[in-house]
Amino acid sequence: MRVFLDLGWFFKERKKQYLLGIVMLMLVAFLQLIPPKIIGYVVDEISAGTLTSATLLKWLGILAVAAIGMYALRYYWRIMIFGSAIFLARQLRERLFRHFTKMAPSFYQKKRVGDLMAHATNDLSAVQQTAGAGVLTLIDSITTGGFVIAAMAITINWKLTLIALIPLPLMAILTSYYGKLLHQRFRYAQEAFSNLNDKAQESISGVKVIKTFGQEKEDTEDFVQLSQDVVDKNIRVAKVDALFDPTISLIVGICFFLSIIFGTRFILADEMSIGDLFAFTSYLGLLVWPMLAFGWLFNIVERGRASYDRIMNLLDEEIEIDDKENALEQKPEGNIQFHVDEFKFPGDERSAIHDVHFTLKRGETLGIVGKTGSGKTAILKLLMREFEGYKGQILYGEHPIDVYKKRSLREAIGYVPQDHFLFSTTVAGNIAFANAGASMEQVHEAAKLAYIHEDILQFTDGYNTVVGERGVSLSGGQKQRISIARALMMDPELLILDDSLSAVDARTEEAILEALKAKRQNETTIITSHRLSAIQHAHQIIVMSEGTIKEKGSHEQLMELKGMYFEMYQLQQLESLVEQGGEA
Amino acid sequence: MDEKQLQLSGKDQWKVFKRLLTYLKPHKKVIALALFLLILTVIGDILGPFLIKVFMDDYLTPRNFPTGPIVGLALGYVFIQVGNVIVSYFQLLRFQEIALKIIQQMRIDVFSKVHKLGMRYFDKTPAGSIVSRVTNDTEAIKDMFVSVLVAFVQSGFLVIGVYIAMFIMNVKLALVTIVLLPILFFIITTYRKHSSIVYQDLRERLSQLNAKLAESLQGMTMIQAFRQEDRLQDEFNAINDKHWNAGKRNIKLDSLLLRPAIDLVYALAIIMVLSYFGIISMNNVVEVGVIYAFVTYIDRFFEPINQVMQRLSIFQQAIVAASRVFKLLDEEDLAPSQKDIANAKIEQGKIEFQNVTFSYDGKTDVLKNISFTAEPGQTVALVGHTGSGKSSIINLLMRFYEFEQGDIKIDGHSVKDFQKEEIREKVGLVLQDPFLFYGDIENNIRLHDQEMSDEEVKAAAEFVQANIFIEKLPNTYKQKVTERGSTFSSGQRQLVAFARTIATNPKILVLDEATANIDTETEVAIQSSLEKMRKGRTTIAIAHRLSTIADAELILVLHHGEIVERGTHQELLNQKGLYHKMYLLQNNVVDDIA
Repeated sequence: MRVFLDLGWFFKERKKQYLLGIVMLMLVAFLQLIPPKIIGYVVDEISAGTLTSATLLKWLGILAVAAIGMYALRYYWRIMIFGSAIFLARQLRERLFRHFTKMAPSFYQKKRVGDLMAHATNDLSAVQQTAGAGVLTLIDSITTGGFVIAAMAITINWKLTLIALIPLPLMAILTSYYGKLLHQRFRYAQEAFSNLNDKAQESISGVKVIKTFGQEKEDTEDFVQLSQDVVDKNIRVAKVDALFDPTISLIVGICFFLSIIFGTRFILADEMSIGDLFAFTSYLGLLVWPMLAFGWLFNIVERGRASYDRIMNLLDEEIEIDDKENALEQKPEGNIQFHVDEFKFPGDERSAIHDVHFTLKRGETLGIVGKTGSGKTAILKLLMREFEGYKGQILYGEHPIDVYKKRSLREAIGYVPQDHFLFSTTVAGNIAFANAGASMEQVHEAAKLAYIHEDILQFTDGYNTVVGERGVSLSGGQKQRISIARALMMDPELLILDDSLSAVDARTEEAILEALKAKRQNETTIITSHRLSAIQHAHQIIVMSEGTIKEKGSHEQLMELKGMYFEMYQLQQLESLVEQGGEA
Repeated sequence: MDEKQLQLSGKDQWKVFKRLLTYLKPHKKVIALALFLLILTVIGDILGPFLIKVFMDDYLTPRNFPTGPIVGLALGYVFIQVGNVIVSYFQLLRFQEIALKIIQQMRIDVFSKVHKLGMRYFDKTPAGSIVSRVTNDTEAIKDMFVSVLVAFVQSGFLVIGVYIAMFIMNVKLALVTIVLLPILFFIITTYRKHSSIVYQDLRERLSQLNAKLAESLQGMTMIQAFRQEDRLQDEFNAINDKHWNAGKRNIKLDSLLLRPAIDLVYALAIIMVLSYFGIISMNNVVEVGVIYAFVTYIDRFFEPINQVMQRLSIFQQAIVAASRVFKLLDEEDLAPSQKDIANAKIEQGKIEFQNVTFSYDGKTDVLKNISFTAEPGQTVALVGHTGSGKSSIINLLMRFYEFEQGDIKIDGHSVKDFQKEEIREKVGLVLQDPFLFYGDIENNIRLHDQEMSDEEVKAAAEFVQANIFIEKLPNTYKQKVTERGSTFSSGQRQLVAFARTIATNPKILVLDEATANIDTETEVAIQSSLEKMRKGRTTIAIAHRLSTIADAELILVLHHGEIVERGTHQELLNQKGLYHKMYLLQNNVVDDIA
């Protein structure tokens, strides 16, 4: 029940709704007592032969009013309580999303998207259940149960009430025992199902191997076996599950039996009337639900607490990279001085980069080359403040980068990532991602600069073509060029191309680089690539190897050095020759 | 989540439902038994209140209690109650069993269908969505069979039983209460009509919400890099609000037409019964027991109706899921079929490609007029950069894809003339990405061939020298393989895949050499194993390392789907063409060119 305390803040916030809802629930519980009573009265008068049209009309009128009243109240408490529960889900979802937007990349390296999704869906709905059905079952089982028993004992016959209720605790005990059994068997059934799921997953991923060895039949037999296991385990569940209804009706049947037998004796002793017996048995029928609700309540609360704790743990996760106090609002500009003695990615023993020092003058282009894992991307990630915790200092203009607000720093940087992630919106929406209000002309201009304009016009809906999930309908090169256009839209102080030309052909690459050179005369650009043609023209080139700078200089200087860069250059010349089919 | 909700017209839904019902056919007998049990329980439900009526009217009202009949009545009541409990337990269990077996059959159908599909289908369909068809969608259908259909049948029978009893006791009142049926029918149809829209809307909003969340999580670095957190938050909030509104509408509709409404009709029914008896009582004597019986029957009558209404949305979901499952079952992108009289045998292992032209999408040819011959025992190597068509040649030879132009012959017969089993048995393919299955090493070598002895498994492993690393494992051949063998290095996985292939002793070997980072330890083992495996077998090999195929009888250099150079290693080097350049590139010799 602790979860109700944990959710106290929310109940306070929605005090009006919950109070109204609970009052209405209690009113319903009270009004429910009327129909059995009226049945009892009418039956008594019928059997006594004293019923008149007037009294009949009176009783039925009350019954009708009570029924309509209950309808209205039942409608409204649902709106109040269930409505609040989905309001809670909405609020928590919003908070989670806001929290997600503040988390640094290291958070996303630690957590899998699937798990985060599970928190935002399954856990959220369990909490919603607690704030809705949980409150309902708690209130209803207490009030309906209490009211009905009180009505039976006070208005009819307390002795009969005691006798008739003797078997009821047995129902609570049995159903909770079944519940425990069921829980266990259900887990096995779930396991069997997840084995089946794994099997299907594996067979479909390994379909080529299965086809190669012609094992379709055998594999299917395997599947049949696992599916049989699912059936068996589920039948074990069904064996317990099928006990619920019969048990309840058996125990209710015993209660009825007891009430009829002892009721008869009380009638004979003139302690109650036949009508009372009618009302009494009707009340017994009303008691079934609160008994079940009580068992249900524990289930809901248990799940709700675990889920709520998981969500709160997530929300309590600290924001790793945040603005400092009095962080600068101004957009950084000027030279970049990069001095990092050592940096390790969180959770990694080895240093990603060490002893990397360079200065990039405003308006110049820096090329970074090196193999995968040589530390190129680490440099960029530090520069963009996606990670912190390095030894050294990175200055942008006059200040270290962490003196600026994160927003201001990133406003200066246009970033084109390696894995060109596009959003499932229109092409134009993707290009104008950072400037939602941009005009179509601006979008076209950026697209032209990135040499993607002509391609886009070929799409079925031109700039309004919707990019599929993760941009499936586009080629790698097209996606890269759209990413470039997206960054160019910002007309950034510093443009970073992180190996972003790898999927375009040599001629397009050259054209894009020419366009950039012309457009970005006085602005700073960093290009990483393992294709040297992309950085050949840079003012300064650094060659990265095993996390540190191996060679530094202009293309000409590095060629003269006849070192690593020179060798890479020669090999790549050859490579491009091979790609073109050997014809130079 | 991964699927957009299908919009089905009423007619389509009906069609899907009818097709679902055909799955009941094989279980006719059990269903008949379960229905019989169900009828028994309904009779018990009806008889109980009737006995109490008899007690009230014949004994309680006149205050006359002869021991014999009273004990008889009591015993009868207890017998019916207990009997009813036992019968209804078995009836519930029986129905669940039927539902589970139906779903099992459906799963097996889907799964075997998946294995009949061609590679083309797997290319265009994400694995996750196929898995969903096999498991999750069928699970949704199970819920329908278990909770909706059974509840439906049950309440149908109970309603009929209650009416029969009421007609027996009092025809006039029973006729009056028939008015309830159109009212209930009206509520149910109105609810169904609106809820299918409102509920569908809610589902769709939820899937939009989840899609937005998933995408934002995946692209969070980009969102942050471009400072679009606030805009995305606004967009998310907008969807969240719409979802919330849909949720509110759903609650409203449920509150308006579900339980509260049914309870209202219940009150109406009670009013009808009371006023009927009340008015009669003003002129005639009324038996109190009849009132009791009617009130009780009306109670019983409404319970299952409530249940059915609560579960209508499950029904809706199941129909959508079933339509997706049936779509897969009706899929026509089947694996290439062999000719009917296919019974040619592979004896020598001679392979001929004759003017084969092939395209995956029917637009761009990935293979153009490919012809070559591999004599029995020879090795033909395919080289070329990514996308040059090497893998397509293997795909066609293995009959993963159907081709129309040209022909591929093994020992003089077209590959279409062999039974599939013959090709699978005599042609051994080693894939570039050696896929290991969950289980242990031994299972991964033997696969499903239970006749293969432990000795044969070991012999195969020894032949490819996989035994060296296997025997060092704590459990040797029984070592567990989890999650696609991620605990083994790619070289070790490759060796297991070799052993798996060699264990079937194929006549023809098709190798897609691994390029992945193979550790130097296993690299040596792999190379010498490859050499051993090729001995005495016709081999078609895709080689990424030219050094490994220097002894091939024929090397084909592919570029854009065409064979641009062919010859032995030495001949090709002497040609100083593309092969020569590739060779230089791989050996980091650059001086000649520069």
